[in-house]
Amino acid sequence: GDSWGIFTFLCAALCNLPALPALNCSEELGAGQSIQQTYDLTRYLEHQLRTLAGTYLNYLGPPFNEPDFNPPRLARAERAPSATVDLDLWRGLTDNARLAANYRAYSRLLCYLRVLDGQVGTAELRHRLAHFCASLQGLVLSIGGVMSSLGYPLPAGPAGPPAPPGTPAAPNDFLKKMDDFWLLKELQTWLWRSAKDFNRLKKKVPPAVVTLRLEARGF
Amino acid sequence: ESHIQYERVGADVTMKCGSMDWDAAVTWTANGTDIDESRLNGSYLILKNVDLSQSGQYSCYEGSSWHLKYQTYLRVGTPPKEPVLMCRSNNYPKGFYCSWHLPTPTYIPNSFNISVIHGTKDMVCEKDAVPKNRCHIRYIQLFSTVKYKVTLTVTNALGKNFTTLTFDEFAIVKPDPPESVVAKPVPNNPRRLEVSWQNPSSWPDPESFPLKFFLRYRPLILDQWQHVELSDGTSHTITDAYAGKEYIIQVAAKDNDIGTWSDWSVAVHATPWTEEPKHLTTEAQITETTSASTSSFMAPPTTKICDKGAVVGSGAMAVCWTAGLVVAAYSVLFI
Repeated sequence: GDSWGIFTFLCAALCNLPALPALNCSEELGAGQSIQQTYDLTRYLEHQLRTLAGTYLNYLGPPFNEPDFNPPRLARAERAPSATVDLDLWRGLTDNARLAANYRAYSRLLCYLRVLDGQVGTAELRHRLAHFCASLQGLVLSIGGVMSSLGYPLPAGPAGPPAPPGTPAAPNDFLKKMDDFWLLKELQTWLWRSAKDFNRLKKKVPPAVVTLRLEARGF
Repeated sequence: ESHIQYERVGADVTMKCGSMDWDAAVTWTANGTDIDESRLNGSYLILKNVDLSQSGQYSCYEGSSWHLKYQTYLRVGTPPKEPVLMCRSNNYPKGFYCSWHLPTPTYIPNSFNISVIHGTKDMVCEKDAVPKNRCHIRYIQLFSTVKYKVTLTVTNALGKNFTTLTFDEFAIVKPDPPESVVAKPVPNNPRRLEVSWQNPSSWPDPESFPLKFFLRYRPLILDQWQHVELSDGTSHTITDAYAGKEYIIQVAAKDNDIGTWSDWSVAVHATPWTEEPKHLTTEAQITETTSASTSSFMAPPTTKICDKGAVVGSGAMAVCWTAGLVVAAYSVLFI
């Protein structure tokens, strides 16, 4: 009988204790999360490009659509900065330089793709290109966002006209197609490289900041 | 002075006895054994449609003086068939290696020459001491748009052959399988197995070039594998294992973004945790408690399921274990 009384008393006492401090976590979306998003976007674009490139190369016709096609790189001015880089140099890039290289490359590649869009024949190809350009635009903005959140200045945008002054227009149809072939190749390589660039950035950028605010309710 | 002579399988071989005239009297030996005169055409030795067993040392001696006039070592073989070449980067981004072999033996010495062209540049593929027929290249540039072209030429005394591989830097990335795969049962969890492994030691930079993994497992008694793909971490807990069954488990690795999956790791075996059988100890306890009571009730043999054949006390009654416990408890209370 006595045990029941003790039990009721304890219950009452516990119920009236002040509530434990409530943990209120507010997580500031750090650059970490947008780097992950940018990485995911490059992977998505890489998949999209496979279909787009297949369709476009078929449109160009042989030999461009042959899997063994391995032409020498003609000494024409490269339209977009190449993804190819010395291994040690790539390792030693600062976060700013790494991001800026990606930003510049995709901005230029986007310009050239837009020019391509205006020239192609079939509706299907135009549709695919338009969709791809939209996604690529998203990638450029995403990279810009990461740079801003880390306090880096955005590189100066590409000059107005798509072709830098001095680059001669392709003198014939075949060479024009070669230019297109290399543009797609460069884009593909950049997307492969970006996955690695953003992997590296993921590790080096400080994790998202988490602030704990303790609120203790008064007695 | 000694010679070596290489001839194709199936060829007809004529051996001259040095500078001796055709009509000189000579004796030929093959590996020390005299050759029958019927094989001779004058002083020439004729071997028709040679086969591999006819390889050996052939010597020609002047008839009467038994002076050694000529000696040659005959090696019968074949010209090389198209070699098999494979190139792979298991240590990306450091570089890649190429290895090769002949699909069929030639039975005579072969020499291999490998050339690597990257765009307009010639690269040197450094031959490995071990294993033979392998060479490696270090990348100078990464993320190349231009393909690599590797040409392997094999030459021997009877002919030559070659093969070419053309590939992108990214296409040949294939890590080695994960190492130190360990699978352990989880205490008090009859359907779980804890699997852990390590990155292959040949992968130089898992921080910047992370790997993802593929786990497959099945009980030994079944043929169907179950698969799990893991994008990070080097451990996984299987939660749907069949209780008490021995499992076989393997893991494979792949660069997160490029290339192909590694071969499967060495297989490990594990069986999930099973409960120790308890009934032997419990039965002894029950017999002790009921023996003191006046009731003639005796607890049935301890089984987890209702045993319809159990005979209790004086009556032929089917009694469940739980019911037996209740009855035993009542008998104790009435003491």
